Amino acid sequence: MKRLAAVVALLGLATATACSSGSTNKSSSGGGGGLFTTIDVNRPGLDASAPANPYNPKGNSFSGFNAMRIAWVKNHLTDPNQALPGIAASWEIAPDNSAITLKLQPNAKWSDGKPVTAEDVKMSIGIAYTQGSTAFSVTPGAAGAAAEVTVVDNQTLKITQDMASPSPKFARGVLDTAVLPAHVWSSVLPADFWDKLKTARGDGAEAEKARTEITAIGQKVIAFAPPKDVSAGPFVLERVNPGEALLVKNKNFYNAAKVAPAQVKFLNYTGNEQIWNYLTAGKLDQSGFVAAPTDVMNRIKQGPGNEVIKGYSPVAVSMAFNQSKKPYDNVHVRRGLAYLIDRDQVTKVASPEGGTPAVTTSGIHQKAAQAWIPDTLPKLDPYKPDAAKAEAEFKSAGLTKKDGKWTLADGKPWKVSMHAPAGFSDWLSAQENIKSQLIKAGIDAEIQTSPDYPVYLEELAAGKYDVGFWLMALGPAPYDIFQRLYGASNGWTNVAGKIEHSPAGKNGNWMGGPEQIEVDGAKIDPGELTGKLNSANEEAAKPIMAQLAKAANQDLPVIQLWDYVNNQFVNNSRFTGWPHDDEILRLGTGVLASGVWIQLGMVKSKQ
Amino acid sequence: MSTVLIPETASAAATMRRNFWLGVWRVMKRKPSRLAGVIIIAGFAFMGAFGPMFYPDQLPDDSNAITQAPSWAHWFGTDPQGRDVLALVITGSRYVLLSAAVTAVITVVFGTTLGLFSGFKRGRWDSVLMRITDMKLTIPGLPLLLVLAMVWKFGSPIQMGLVLGLLGWGGVARAVRAQTLSLRERGFIEAARGLGLSTRHIIGKELLPSMAPYIAMNMLIAVTGAVYAQVGLFFLGVLPYEANNWGVMLNLAVFQAGAMITPNALGYLLGPLLAILLLTLGIVLVVDAMDEIFNPRLREE
Repeated sequence: MKRLAAVVALLGLATATACSSGSTNKSSSGGGGGLFTTIDVNRPGLDASAPANPYNPKGNSFSGFNAMRIAWVKNHLTDPNQALPGIAASWEIAPDNSAITLKLQPNAKWSDGKPVTAEDVKMSIGIAYTQGSTAFSVTPGAAGAAAEVTVVDNQTLKITQDMASPSPKFARGVLDTAVLPAHVWSSVLPADFWDKLKTARGDGAEAEKARTEITAIGQKVIAFAPPKDVSAGPFVLERVNPGEALLVKNKNFYNAAKVAPAQVKFLNYTGNEQIWNYLTAGKLDQSGFVAAPTDVMNRIKQGPGNEVIKGYSPVAVSMAFNQSKKPYDNVHVRRGLAYLIDRDQVTKVASPEGGTPAVTTSGIHQKAAQAWIPDTLPKLDPYKPDAAKAEAEFKSAGLTKKDGKWTLADGKPWKVSMHAPAGFSDWLSAQENIKSQLIKAGIDAEIQTSPDYPVYLEELAAGKYDVGFWLMALGPAPYDIFQRLYGASNGWTNVAGKIEHSPAGKNGNWMGGPEQIEVDGAKIDPGELTGKLNSANEEAAKPIMAQLAKAANQDLPVIQLWDYVNNQFVNNSRFTGWPHDDEILRLGTGVLASGVWIQLGMVKSKQ
Repeated sequence: MSTVLIPETASAAATMRRNFWLGVWRVMKRKPSRLAGVIIIAGFAFMGAFGPMFYPDQLPDDSNAITQAPSWAHWFGTDPQGRDVLALVITGSRYVLLSAAVTAVITVVFGTTLGLFSGFKRGRWDSVLMRITDMKLTIPGLPLLLVLAMVWKFGSPIQMGLVLGLLGWGGVARAVRAQTLSLRERGFIEAARGLGLSTRHIIGKELLPSMAPYIAMNMLIAVTGAVYAQVGLFFLGVLPYEANNWGVMLNLAVFQAGAMITPNALGYLLGPLLAILLLTLGIVLVVDAMDEIFNPRLREE
């Protein structure tokens, strides 16, 4: 016991040391608005030698702080095209989604004093093409791709959509584009780039060659290192060392008067537990979503000035089946499992703070489902835990129970083999809990891990797993939501606006579900319907979403387990004015929301 | 050791054995800590062999009692699934200890055989074998294990032990060869040769017993090395996930339960940590005792 006490004392000492270093940021210089401390939640590990390049995976370019986008797309439940102004002060979307006209900020300047012009934006769009974004893609037949980029005047651009394969989220794709200074970056694009692009968007060998060339330019873009950071955002990069990145206020920023902090510091971290330490010490003014167990969450809430803002996160996690493997090809087995697994318990153990148990399997996040299918949602089978129903389903699938253990129809033992990538602790925790629930019900189960997420996805797509965890309901665009269930992973590919179905095991179809599902007495093709969502407007999408939700609920290609919650950590000791609005608590991919709040003048210095 | 040169009768051998065990007992009695070491090791052996039999295959969990602080019901608290940490440590001990034992046996058998052969034969064989050993010693163990873990799943403790053992024999082989080279020039070996005793007899009855303590100690130290190596690999998360593995437990305690932040998860961290600490302590104490048993000069009569 003495040894134990000594270890405890030592650990206590370590925590105290960690805490004592937490108060340093009060004394730092910078004047005016003070220092804003945060982390880049998207990328662990700062790289001091990485360039200030938003396309470099390690780049010291912090979207919202020293990297700007045309606009900041919102996290709206149903409309993917809503956004907050960025370099574009306003924009107009044609009613049929065929074009978007951008009006730039009249006073926008780069940190070196040069004005931000429409030419800058056009070049940035050219660079986006080399990386292949949703709106700016050279992939033939890509939905929602731009056709023409026209500079109307120094402050105005018009971008039209290729209506051969339109997408309702075309405007989102345009707005969510990084803006770079042409006077620094123009050398990465060859002089004949736009001609090359035109060729690349055509057909034949010429086009193929041009596409390869554009992809090659993409590599140059990723490696490009500007001699110094030239930013149109509220901050500009001052220096980076392995411990932290320091940004200072950009005096030329068009809204500089409303930017509260004089400096921003990004702290380095390698894992979640390090962020927990920063947060419990009250060191961070803001941090994006970080998974944390309840005990740690409580400690963070107790930290001086800390507040946790909960919001909507358009993603859910599910238990997905490979229907080419027995017995998962039988819908009764999947339904039986849905009745058996207590999702409340799974969520309580695996993601008590970062998730809410799925109300049912609808394919849609429960919050978005309220907006999309309010009338259908109550009619879906909620699959409340019910051992008797589960048993009935298993029996109708031909399974037999011998000595309290379920065996397959042919008498062979049944073992549910679940897979997850190593390090995904919430998924592993959930599978551990499901395993325990299944074993209690007489179904043998095991958990297998793969070394990392890319390997996991590769092996999953190759059909190596029976059961795996799968992210779904990726909103806000309706097509994105359902293509996770009735997209390429289940056999339906969208080639040049045409939906084609591949048999199980071919072209990445690992789910191997049936091509037609009976819903309300009629046969539907869920992949075809999902494809329609790509061009449907909100009103047209709603009945399709309802049909697909019913299909997902009856056929259960996956069992929706929990819907994620977006936890934002903020600290009220030094800054205030944090938004509590779901739509802007989470912005586009890779965007650091606090930078956007600061540049819009929402965050105020507490003095 | 020269006593063995006299042809033994059955009773003489028995007397010797009795004297040996008496000596062991005396050494043990002098420092009670050594006795504690033996008890610890015996305890771990018992835990590995029979411990898991006291628990069901699937440990009972409780979603209402996840990550609890130590209490009378759960001496080391519960894990994030609401399972008893002590039960996890005990059921997880079999894999760790069995693979450590396999490692130790392979290290010692392989290392000793090679070292003895090399040192006794000398010449060409010695050169070839020692160059191989040198090459083996230059291979960094951990990076190699990390690479191996990508292709091999290490599902069974025997596999794990085999790989660790094959990585660890180099040092023992070199040391045993050095000892052999020195011993083979001693008088009693000369005498044995002069008497025309067979090589097998010389190696088996003359050389090996002189090195027994050294080999035995190496074996025990190999056990701790193997435990550290595999727990480390599991901690890094490169080996397959198994809820009751000590390394996995340490990993989850820090990265999932937040043992560095919340005192509730401390038991989860301390459970496997204390098990490793205790095992190391037991081995150190037994090695200390062995040193004195086999080395007459250390005996304080």
